[in-house]
Amino acid sequence: MPGRWILLLIISWLPLVVFANDNAYLHELVGQAREKNLAQRAEWLNLLHYKPYVYGTGMRSLADDPAFFNAPDGKTDAAAELEATLAVFFSTAEETDKVQNPQCRFIARYHWLKEELHFDPARLPEQPCRRFYQWRASLDPNEITLVFPAAYLNNPASMYGHTLLRIDAKDQDERTRLLAYSISYAAGTDETSGLIFAVRGLFGGYPGVFAITPYYLKVREYSDIENRDVWEYQLTLTPSEIDRLLMHTWELGPTHFDYYFFDENCAYHLLSLLEVARPGLKLTDRFRWWAIPSDTVRAVAEQSGLVKRVVYRPATATIIRRRLADMEDRQSGLARGLAERKMSAADDRLHELPLQEQARILELAYDYATYRSASGRDTTTPAQTHELLLARSRLEVPPQRPEVPVPAVRPDQGHKTSRLALGLGSRGGRRFEEIDLRPTYHDLMDDDGGYTRGAQIEFFNMRWRHYRGDDSLRLEELTPLNIVSLSPRDDFFTPVSWKINIGWTRKHFADNDEPLIFRASGGPGLAFNMPGTHEGKSVYYGYLEAALDAGKRFDRDYAVGAGPVAGWLTDISDRWRINLYARSLRYGLGEAHNARELTLEQRYSLSQQSALHLRLHRKQEFQDYRNAAEISLQYYY
Amino acid sequence: MLNKKLMVVALVMAFPVGAMAAGAAAPDASGGCGVGSKLFENQRGVAPQVLAMTTNGIAQQTFAVSSGTSGCSQDGVVKSNWKTSMFIDGNKTKLARDMSTGSGEALESLAKLIGIQDQHKAAFFQATKDNFSRIFAADNVTTDQVVASLKQVLASDSELAPYSNSI
Repeated sequence: MPGRWILLLIISWLPLVVFANDNAYLHELVGQAREKNLAQRAEWLNLLHYKPYVYGTGMRSLADDPAFFNAPDGKTDAAAELEATLAVFFSTAEETDKVQNPQCRFIARYHWLKEELHFDPARLPEQPCRRFYQWRASLDPNEITLVFPAAYLNNPASMYGHTLLRIDAKDQDERTRLLAYSISYAAGTDETSGLIFAVRGLFGGYPGVFAITPYYLKVREYSDIENRDVWEYQLTLTPSEIDRLLMHTWELGPTHFDYYFFDENCAYHLLSLLEVARPGLKLTDRFRWWAIPSDTVRAVAEQSGLVKRVVYRPATATIIRRRLADMEDRQSGLARGLAERKMSAADDRLHELPLQEQARILELAYDYATYRSASGRDTTTPAQTHELLLARSRLEVPPQRPEVPVPAVRPDQGHKTSRLALGLGSRGGRRFEEIDLRPTYHDLMDDDGGYTRGAQIEFFNMRWRHYRGDDSLRLEELTPLNIVSLSPRDDFFTPVSWKINIGWTRKHFADNDEPLIFRASGGPGLAFNMPGTHEGKSVYYGYLEAALDAGKRFDRDYAVGAGPVAGWLTDISDRWRINLYARSLRYGLGEAHNARELTLEQRYSLSQQSALHLRLHRKQEFQDYRNAAEISLQYYY
Repeated sequence: MLNKKLMVVALVMAFPVGAMAAGAAAPDASGGCGVGSKLFENQRGVAPQVLAMTTNGIAQQTFAVSSGTSGCSQDGVVKSNWKTSMFIDGNKTKLARDMSTGSGEALESLAKLIGIQDQHKAAFFQATKDNFSRIFAADNVTTDQVVASLKQVLASDSELAPYSNSI
């Protein structure tokens, strides 16, 4: 490693040493650049990924790769970097398969400086950069699309998801989009342990790199295997903007950035590519701490004139649901029997049906069989699915793939991801005011438009309360992590719901003291649609929950309990949702006691970004029951 | 930084089992063109779900931008002589599904790669459907077998014969 660094340093310094003293033209260019103050221009700062420090003054580049800079202090000194970059452009090194001439290696910088300083080709000859132009020619770019896969079934965490850019070729259309390439930003590693990956990824332990991948591999990953609906935002970038984007992608190719899951993630870096493409776009400024992919999509959609068209691509599971909705139970039962190998494609129950119905059943059976196999419940052999396709190919009937309606609310149009609530209430006869801050992201009571129904994920929710007569505000709750998956089961889909909650909360002890304690709780559950309803609009559910409470107030400092939770979550109207649930936990280990509660929550949406929330609550911890009622105004921002 | 540390602890507590079981899809060891099918071997069940939440994907060396020549790609873009077979390799299940109904975007894309002209597309789609049992003769056909039988099917069709050499 040190050897490579020294080599890189030598390479990047060589031209300076060679040219600095006797190249009059370089002196001239440097003079002009200083006069025009190019080093402080937004284009240059974007190309080098300079960002101001969050704390303090000055700036540094987010790139962590010394080879990305031509000046030794290029990471922090934009002017020195610009001048050193001009110097290396005089290199006449031949391009090889692994090493490029600096003009090609930094081709976006080259073209911007060439334009600004009107390079004289006689005194600064332009290099052919064959590899870059060949690469661009094979991509044949025409349009850029921002691709956003939504969260997938039963995994709320995937809401944090990905974004990627797609390069649409000139002769490509909607039907052949699989042939496009995608630009994604990902952690570059061969690490195969997910645990190590997760931990190191969060701390920036892996270099992030840009990759260009056939889009069909991405579609397979998201739409087919993970069953995520995909939203494609076609952008209005002009040919010269696309050129800049590709040049900069090329420049970034071998450069590594420390990869952080939370901020310097894929979404953030893709936005920075767009900023380079269209100077004047300000997309990354607002993401100093969190770059949530759906927020980055929102940032793009909010730029006037940047989005041309939005296309929705349903996942396999969504298509299966659509097929089911159009089908009678008896037919879908046959499809399930075929997919689960309980009957063969030669069965009379199938053959006595009209051809078109047979086709619909066979297509559904195949989709469902592949869904089962992709989701790990693989009971269907390839031979079985092959038999289904063979039978289908023998039917002279047009394809029966259903049209899936586009959801009314796009991901960029849903409620915003931070929420502030101000409330008033009364508990055990004592009045209080409350403030509740949720930095991110979505809970079961929020409006689902643009989100995935039944998927809750909140980070660092905080709640403070002031009781009348008290002098101070006190922290009621701090919850670093709160995830709930509520996924209704039916004959075709049988997910196990689950929840996990980790944080600090107040507990009412027998002596009426209410200290802050640590709690980790969670468990599996089952959820079902109410008969006659679908799409999770009315769901009853049960969880088996375990909880670990810890704090100095407990005998032996802890209590471990378990017990059931049962509830009903239903929409009364588009704006009005209620959640009624009961919980009973028996703490048997540590300090033995009981905890029970009965809660009715209601949310009424006032507008897209505001709602009224009402909570009625009866709760027992240790001995006493206490009633509480609270009304709050929620504002999303 | 404190927040990040807290999150790590929380995440690790939340998903210990899943995280242990997770296996990242390793790059094709041969560095060759079997990428399409190799890529997803481990992507089943819990593993991809955990990966999906902790990462934004793992970069494949094959597709690294401006990385020079690597197996079947040049600077991240698939070389033209590999395009069709790699597409078939990466989309075999989808192609089987599409050919069984004679429609679909995988089949449209394949037609485009082979260079089927618009006026011959309907015939091409119909031919793949009619000959499904030949092209996907068994449940475990290899990419090479699909390519070979598709060639034969096209060659034996008077209208499509000229395309049999473009695969």
